[in-house]
Amino acid sequence: MNDFASHSYWILLLPFLSFLINGLYLCRKDRKSAGILSIVLNGCAMVYAIVLAVQYFQSGMAPGKVLAWEYSFLPFTETLIASVGMLLDPLSVMMLVVVTVISFLVNIYSMGYMREDLSSGRFFSLLSFFSFSMLGLVIATNVFQMYFFWELVGVASYMLIGFWYHKPSAVSASKQAFILTRFADSFFLLGIVLVSYVVGSFDFSVLNALEPATAAFSGMIDLGFCDISRSGALVLGSILIFTGGWGKSAMFPMHIWLPNAMEGPTPVSSIIHSATMVVAGVYLVARLFPFFAACEGTLNLIMVVGCFTAIFAAVIACTQKDIKRILAYSTLSQLGYMMFALGACTVVGENTINTLGYTASTFHIFTHAFFKCMLFLVAGSLIHQVHSNDLDAMGGLGKKMPWTYWSSLIACLAISGVPPFSGFFSKDEILLSAFQNGHVIVFGVALFTSGLTAFYMFRLFFLAFHGEPRSAGVAHAHEDKAMTFPIVMLAIPSLGAGYFGKEIFARYFTPGMLQVPLATPMEHAAWVPFAAAGVAIVGIAIAWLFYARPYANVKHALDTENRSALYKVVYHKFYFDEGYYAIVREFLFGGIAASAKWFDDYIIGGLVKLVCVICQKAGSLVRYLQSGYLTFYIGTLIVGVLLWRYLGNLPV
Amino acid sequence: MNNFLIPDILLLALPFVVIGSHFLFPKRHTVPFAVGCIGFLGVFVMLNLLVLGETQTFLSNWKIDSFGVFMREVLILAALLGIWFSKDYFEHDADGKEQLHQLPEFIAAISVATFGGVTVVSACDLLTLFLGLELATIPMYALAAWNKSDPGGSEAGTKYILMGSVATAFELFGFSYLYGFSGSMKLAEIATAVTQNGTSPLLWISVLFLICGIGFKLTLFPFHTWAPDVYEGAPTPVTAVLAVTSKAVAITFLVILVFGPFASIHTQLIPFLSILAAVTILAGNLGALKQSRLRRFMAYSSISQAGYILLAILGPEIVAKSAIVYYLVVYTFANYLAFFVFGIIGQHRTEGFDSLRGLSKENPTLAIALTIAAFSLAGIPPLAGFIGKFMLFESAAEAKTYGLIAFAVLNNVIALYYYIQLIKGAWVDPPDENLPRLEVNKRQKFAVVVLTIGVLFVGVVPFLSENIRNILAM
Repeated sequence: MNDFASHSYWILLLPFLSFLINGLYLCRKDRKSAGILSIVLNGCAMVYAIVLAVQYFQSGMAPGKVLAWEYSFLPFTETLIASVGMLLDPLSVMMLVVVTVISFLVNIYSMGYMREDLSSGRFFSLLSFFSFSMLGLVIATNVFQMYFFWELVGVASYMLIGFWYHKPSAVSASKQAFILTRFADSFFLLGIVLVSYVVGSFDFSVLNALEPATAAFSGMIDLGFCDISRSGALVLGSILIFTGGWGKSAMFPMHIWLPNAMEGPTPVSSIIHSATMVVAGVYLVARLFPFFAACEGTLNLIMVVGCFTAIFAAVIACTQKDIKRILAYSTLSQLGYMMFALGACTVVGENTINTLGYTASTFHIFTHAFFKCMLFLVAGSLIHQVHSNDLDAMGGLGKKMPWTYWSSLIACLAISGVPPFSGFFSKDEILLSAFQNGHVIVFGVALFTSGLTAFYMFRLFFLAFHGEPRSAGVAHAHEDKAMTFPIVMLAIPSLGAGYFGKEIFARYFTPGMLQVPLATPMEHAAWVPFAAAGVAIVGIAIAWLFYARPYANVKHALDTENRSALYKVVYHKFYFDEGYYAIVREFLFGGIAASAKWFDDYIIGGLVKLVCVICQKAGSLVRYLQSGYLTFYIGTLIVGVLLWRYLGNLPV
Repeated sequence: MNNFLIPDILLLALPFVVIGSHFLFPKRHTVPFAVGCIGFLGVFVMLNLLVLGETQTFLSNWKIDSFGVFMREVLILAALLGIWFSKDYFEHDADGKEQLHQLPEFIAAISVATFGGVTVVSACDLLTLFLGLELATIPMYALAAWNKSDPGGSEAGTKYILMGSVATAFELFGFSYLYGFSGSMKLAEIATAVTQNGTSPLLWISVLFLICGIGFKLTLFPFHTWAPDVYEGAPTPVTAVLAVTSKAVAITFLVILVFGPFASIHTQLIPFLSILAAVTILAGNLGALKQSRLRRFMAYSSISQAGYILLAILGPEIVAKSAIVYYLVVYTFANYLAFFVFGIIGQHRTEGFDSLRGLSKENPTLAIALTIAAFSLAGIPPLAGFIGKFMLFESAAEAKTYGLIAFAVLNNVIALYYYIQLIKGAWVDPPDENLPRLEVNKRQKFAVVVLTIGVLFVGVVPFLSENIRNILAM
């Protein structure tokens, strides 16, 4: 590759510089210039990434893999070396563009959103650190580097979710996010250790080329508590690695941190949900896709987890009142789509792979990033104007904020999957891949979820923008330039990314080096797009019927008290938070931790105290022997010689 | 190469020059001190200029090898720091005692003791070895009782000289048996005799008495009893000199014997030396636990340090010698750093733990210096003390005495406890308003800064220890 690519570390360095300069210097001096610096540096990174992407796709190298640069970082042994490098392939280039673009726009938006916040300098610094970490993750050449930046992403999200650390809810949400993802990450690390032990490498190129079924992996290894065959260890390792993505992408049942992470500033939610953090899990699966495909059963697990999360989150989203929470559950649901699309690549009944799901999933990452980012920015704008997260306090905002209104209409149509908006194309491909590969139940669930998506998105849309104002805040709501600009900018890809991206994705986005036989290309089931669009329109219609038709009973729609038991269960998110707290409080804290504390206090602590007392007593004895009498001292000399004559182990 | 002898001759002449300069300029009190400093510094620089690698022998009983040069450097460094430290005690009273007098003689005594150490490390026969040891010890007796107006000092001196005489008697007894066993005064010939007949009772009685005798000077258990009383009673600078120079000479004596005449029975000596080291570390640590006076505390701390240094002798020659040289440098720095801080504190206050209260608020630099010294003595990475202890343990590990090393490491926990008492006093304990203010003069400030940097620097510069080992292995 040319010089331009070999200097592409600037894409990482620029946000990192912004982090350093802002964090160490500017954040205390001048909040405004901190924001401007952040925007400029992230903008430069964005330009670099876009130019790099254009060069990459034009150079004829796509969809090949290019190592822009690589340095050895931690040589564990002669052969097992953790290196730091930059891998360019369609997937990573696409992610580079998405992350830098989103990060740039979110930075601009934050200028408006954080205008009144005194510590916005710190905010810009951390935001740059967040995108730096995600960029490092995206370009990883090996699973170790990925894990390294994976954890940095976790740390950055912890600091950003808990940005308003004076709010107890923000602190607990950040802790929850960090602990839960760390819990999953520990499995990821175990998986890395296990796989690198069996394979002897961290490199994606090696891992993706594995064939666990062959004789090379027939031996047994000792895990410490049981023996397992080497191929079995690889399958176990692949599941463990996926568990890392499971937690990071907030798949059921490790999803609870994501809605609670809404306690952070809205730009943070926006970037977490679109470009960084949660997408990391999907990206991990896509990056190691050939490896997962080679490990039998792993893809099926991924599919089931993704599919269940998709419908589970969509159902909850239908009843929420907090607009950010609705969007959060919608993200969960969309991440479920991406996950199950990757998992649905296996063809039922045959040991073959149809890569359409991979293409669809990466395509959906791309389109989803733009409209979901924008929806969060819209939510932030609304919250900023009416000073409440609740749909109760909104209504009729469409007239006050026309730019925002039309942009969010585009985004809502996109996420619902209405043609010709971007979401339609990617979602259609996802459904198609599930159908083509014979996963009928998954296909059915996904289709139904698609309808639910349209319903809850337009529930949000109608309740926020239409109808009568339900609070005083609506009256003086207005557009804010710094905040509206990124929203309008994002409307463009939300509209066009699907139509124009379809060809590129179909052509370049296939997993290389698959070791599993490819399925023969199948006929395009022509009715699937119509079904998808039809379900979406039905969803929108129902939403209109409930919330926006003339004389709609909006008051009843927002009432959460006088409802059926089922509605309440869904409204309370199936009581998952409460269940987690019960397990953590009663079982972990009350049971295990309390007994461990007892053991530590009385047994270990007692032993320590005993040793201390013995030492102190012996110390007093030594002091006591130091009487100060010369005769006694001279006696010790003589006694000493006699003592060592007999106790000194002399050979004679 | 005759230039190897020049530093020794200069050092021998130094006491006379210092006293002579006092007679020449009786009115100017700074002259002898300046002469002493320049003399030691000059000798130190000259030693550093020598090209090491070969063993030089002069007059059949004076040999200078690389280890000898290294030990000379350590001893000179310790002496330089010693007179630098003691200067203040000749200018004003401290720790409730009157100021000292006769600085020229004091410096002369220290340089004679240093020359005694040099004699020990150069000795080729028993007589020179013994003379060196006595030359290094006798000035110490006088130094301990230097403050004539202080009855505590006289008591310390009396105790020291009486017990020292008994120890000397042990040494002479051991030497005479060794001579009787081998029929020669030459260390090389004794070595041959030991190789031929390593199980003679005569030899082992001599070994027992020699090690017990030097155990007195090295403060090994149970011959350490003099140390707390003498360290407590002697003037503070003398305590510092005792803790460093005297100990360095004693360990050198042991190294000369163990890797010289007794080289062929080294493995049989290991159990004896191990048990001595273990008991000494434990006794020193336990004693230091409950002290309230700083000098007494340092006495016990130095007892346990001696036990740690003894660990190194268990290993093979090169590893042991390099570990000892390196550790002595580190120990010298850290110990003098602590003493400088104690000296500054003790100027207007009593030298006790209570006087450390509020040090971090009153003079953060001193508090940091004290912290670094204490952590280095305790062996906390990345300070020099950690690398030093590591090398000591490494040497012991070469002799496969893993149980002993485990014991020593566990004992380090106790050591950490009492060293942290110092840090707690300086940083955590509430300040005491009634304490007099501290005064720090330029010399003290310079010494504290230089020693702090030294302790930090020696620890993080890896090639220093490597260099010592490579040169010793040449």
